[in-house]
Amino acid sequence: MNATRKWILHRVSAVILAPLFVWLYFSFISLSTRDYLEAIYFFKSPIFEIFTITLFIVGFFHAKISLNEIFEDYIHNKKIKDVANILALILSIIVPAVILILLIYKI
Amino acid sequence: MTDNKNPLSPHLQVYRWHVSSLLSITHRISGIINLFALILIFIWLIFLSFGENNYELFLFIINSFIGKFILIGFSWSMSFHILSGIRHLIWDMGYGFEIKTSNISGIIVVISSLAATTIFWLLGRGII
Repeated sequence: MNATRKWILHRVSAVILAPLFVWLYFSFISLSTRDYLEAIYFFKSPIFEIFTITLFIVGFFHAKISLNEIFEDYIHNKKIKDVANILALILSIIVPAVILILLIYKI
Repeated sequence: MTDNKNPLSPHLQVYRWHVSSLLSITHRISGIINLFALILIFIWLIFLSFGENNYELFLFIINSFIGKFILIGFSWSMSFHILSGIRHLIWDMGYGFEIKTSNISGIIVVISSLAATTIFWLLGRGII
């Protein structure tokens, strides 16, 4: 990915992310005072499921680009940096994939 | 990238602190904390999929003193990162680079992130 596209996608993902993150984190805080059935009921809504999976895909994409940049600045050993970048990539794929599976097969 | 002997930035321990540098590093740190917040939501969903008995344990942990402390901390890092992100987007559009303006916008970000955290927590927990 070239640097300009990376820069633009980083901003675009941020704008998508902000409302979704506030929404799901707020829901999480609200549901932390409620019981299991209410939490399950929350994820019965298809729109909420789409929001959630979008948040995880876009969120981990945003995080991956950001981590690459942070590693570039602070990790001066090239080998360690490469490993760190690969770990960030793996994390950004696995977590959204697991969420997708959970939501498809119903929590 | 070839290795060279040029000085590497950022020198966090070397430079004198300013509003700009302090908020810049806080933006990064809050971003990383947000990654942990997202991972906590991930764990929440995993626990939901494990069924009711295990969920009780999860609720017990997040409603403990330390759990609440972490949840409030996440609320702040989310508020700060988003508000600071908006400040960055305004810079990206080419506005607000004057030192005075950027110091003022930085202070606005800090104060409003604290206010947002308070409102967010009180509303979320159903206290108001």
